Amino acid sequence: MPRAHLMSDHRRFTDGEAVIEVEGLTVGAVIAELERRYPGLGEILTNGSSAGVDGVIHAEPEYLVIGPDTDVYFVAPLAGG
Amino acid sequence: MTVTEDRPAYKWVGTRPIRHDGYDKVVGKARFAADLNLPGQLHGVFLRSPHGHARIVSIDTSAAEAMPGVKAVVTGDDFPELAAGDPERDTAINLMARGVVLYVGHALAAVAASTRAEALAAAAAIEVEYDLLPVILSLDESIADGAPLVNEDNRTAFSGSDEPSNLASVTPLERGDVDAAFEAADLVIEREFETSWVHQGYIEPHACVVDVGADGKADIWASSQGHFRVRSQTAAVLGWDTARIKVTPAEIGGGFGGKTTIYLEPVAARLSEKSGRPVKIVMTRDEVLRATGPAPGSKARIRIGATSDGELTAIEGWIGYVVGCVNNMAGFIGAMSVASYKFPNLKLEAVGVLTNTPASAAYRAPSAPQAAFAIESVIDEIAQTLGLDPIDVRLKNAVVEGDPTAMGMPHPRIGFVECLEAIRDSDHYGSPVPEGAARGIGTGFWFNIGEQSSATVNLNEDGTATVITGSPDIGGSRASMALMAAEELGIDVHRITPVVADTESVGFTDVTEGSRATFATGMAVVNACRELVDELKARAATIMGVDSEAVDWIDGAAVAEEHDPLPLDAITAKAKGTGGPLTVTASLNAGGAGPSFAVHCCDVAVDEETGQVTVLRYTTAQDAGTAIHPSYVEGQMQGGTVQGIGWALNEEYVYGEDGTMLNASFLDYRVPVASDLPMIETIIVEVPNPAHPYGVRGVGETGIVPPMSTIANAVNRATGLRISALPMSPPAILAALNER
Repeated sequence: MPRAHLMSDHRRFTDGEAVIEVEGLTVGAVIAELERRYPGLGEILTNGSSAGVDGVIHAEPEYLVIGPDTDVYFVAPLAGG
Repeated sequence: MTVTEDRPAYKWVGTRPIRHDGYDKVVGKARFAADLNLPGQLHGVFLRSPHGHARIVSIDTSAAEAMPGVKAVVTGDDFPELAAGDPERDTAINLMARGVVLYVGHALAAVAASTRAEALAAAAAIEVEYDLLPVILSLDESIADGAPLVNEDNRTAFSGSDEPSNLASVTPLERGDVDAAFEAADLVIEREFETSWVHQGYIEPHACVVDVGADGKADIWASSQGHFRVRSQTAAVLGWDTARIKVTPAEIGGGFGGKTTIYLEPVAARLSEKSGRPVKIVMTRDEVLRATGPAPGSKARIRIGATSDGELTAIEGWIGYVVGCVNNMAGFIGAMSVASYKFPNLKLEAVGVLTNTPASAAYRAPSAPQAAFAIESVIDEIAQTLGLDPIDVRLKNAVVEGDPTAMGMPHPRIGFVECLEAIRDSDHYGSPVPEGAARGIGTGFWFNIGEQSSATVNLNEDGTATVITGSPDIGGSRASMALMAAEELGIDVHRITPVVADTESVGFTDVTEGSRATFATGMAVVNACRELVDELKARAATIMGVDSEAVDWIDGAAVAEEHDPLPLDAITAKAKGTGGPLTVTASLNAGGAGPSFAVHCCDVAVDEETGQVTVLRYTTAQDAGTAIHPSYVEGQMQGGTVQGIGWALNEEYVYGEDGTMLNASFLDYRVPVASDLPMIETIIVEVPNPAHPYGVRGVGETGIVPPMSTIANAVNRATGLRISALPMSPPAILAALNER
């Protein structure tokens, strides 16, 4: 099952849990399931996060297809100079 | 000097041809935004707030509108109110105040007139009544209990609260058990640090010319790092469809992150729309310093624990970024930039804090230099205290592939260790420290980013090529695009013309930021060229009368058994008869940007009578992945270093109590010039990024991260002073020496 790795700020929704196993074929599906379990978290993950998957940070990961054993790291959005 | 891992032998990649944009710049033919003039053009100027924070009670523009030569006047009322939560709401507020001015220099009206003098006179005739509000200029004032609000519009990002706040963001990061780790540590050092606002200092001020026609469509010529963003932001601020706007990128005279947002274009567009004439606006240097984004100032508390043999076991820290009058992402990014050392136990909080100062903006690796200054200073003190070599301590703790970043995700293949080894093995580090001088070491990390890019490659009938992209060239990307195309197509790099096209002539391309142009736009060029080569092989098969599978592409020619090689120009000459023009467009959203590390070494001398710090020798090693055009890579490394030296030694915003910047000129805001510095020696480290066809990582930003700590660590060894506040200007050094 995919594992969602949450930043410390996200864990206020999950009672401190940092890594949560979540069913989903895409990052968007993972976010939707997290929102169902932890209302409010989905909004932050959708609009305030990027996702690191297989070593690559994706700015808009909603439709990114993931495998059954994927680690999804939700991280703050990035910008550059 | 280059330190290279094993890689394929390239013919063009890694060479140093004369840059394609060089001739125009050398002879003055290159056209910057301020060089453009249109028939009937008006000149636009701003009226800017003299107050640091005030409610606008009334604006009376009637006298200004009646003055000679005046054709149009606009205020905030001429722009739509963007809804709360709109991503460009703060952009709109920052470029034209609505109801409240938030800093000295905040624009609140603009005038277009036949001459600049007439426009300035009219702007001065606009009558404004203000109701003054409390002015908050420092982080400490802003976060104090009961502090007045800097900007009633601000909400702390993703806090879930709808209450106005002076906090832009709060980003905690945590792993392991720092309390237990500090308890078990042999050495714990905790220090506080402070850095000033600093400006990117690009030589070319912001400028644009906008012509809105009777059909309501706008032509914009602008200096920016991303003309597609100019288009989208201008459309959002005006409430227009994007299709009404065409943006042509002018040559750019420096950006460094500061030209990733807009300050002028919607105002010029509205003035042009009202007057029916083209409008040109060119900022003065004073305006650039007072009203465009500097990098945030910062305060930090950093505590690091170590074993007696130099293993870093824990870090705990708080970093506050002073982001100016509107919200931005500085705090988010700052927290995540702590990524260079293994630190099994980590607890960080990064906070963005608002003040009544200009909205801050990106400056190369945004937010990373402030964090690195603090952390690298403490690590240096740990090495000193334990009697260990500063590079050995860093090598012992340096992250490698698979180690976690601050946000937990494992690092991909990176070259931090290789950069440390390159400095350790350098002539500089192996040489004795000059008499009367001292040596410092510092390091830096930056993510780099990918994002969206497009490229079109056209093969001309004589076998030359045009490579068209949408990435403004702020650091040599045209030459890099041409080199990668030459490698793919197998033709001379000077038979290729790289072009940066307007928003109607090339596919969407994100801003040139995050060291992404050579990485991401380069990938689009490579993809287009590879598709073209497949088409060339098919055309050659038609000409030769063989199956296309029987054709290889070798060194710019189609090769098939029992046939003479068919060079590219022989195929393009027959394009009409074999299927028509040879042109391919490729677009992508590039993933896999390779993080880049840099390690710096410098020797300084400190004059204890004047407090002057002189940089005697400076060497930088940086992982470029693969250097496409090494001279440009070296230029980026040197440029970032020099800007970091300015940040370390001289540059700062000096504000009066009312929020007026007191040093808004290059005379008083002192950036380094050539005579201040030695030649910056460079070592390009090449640990190829596996996610790019040539291994590119991007090099534009990391170089500015290490200099502040590198110089502070050298100053410490020279004087015994652990300087914790930047800049280390002569008065600051003298004051510290007097307290020693």
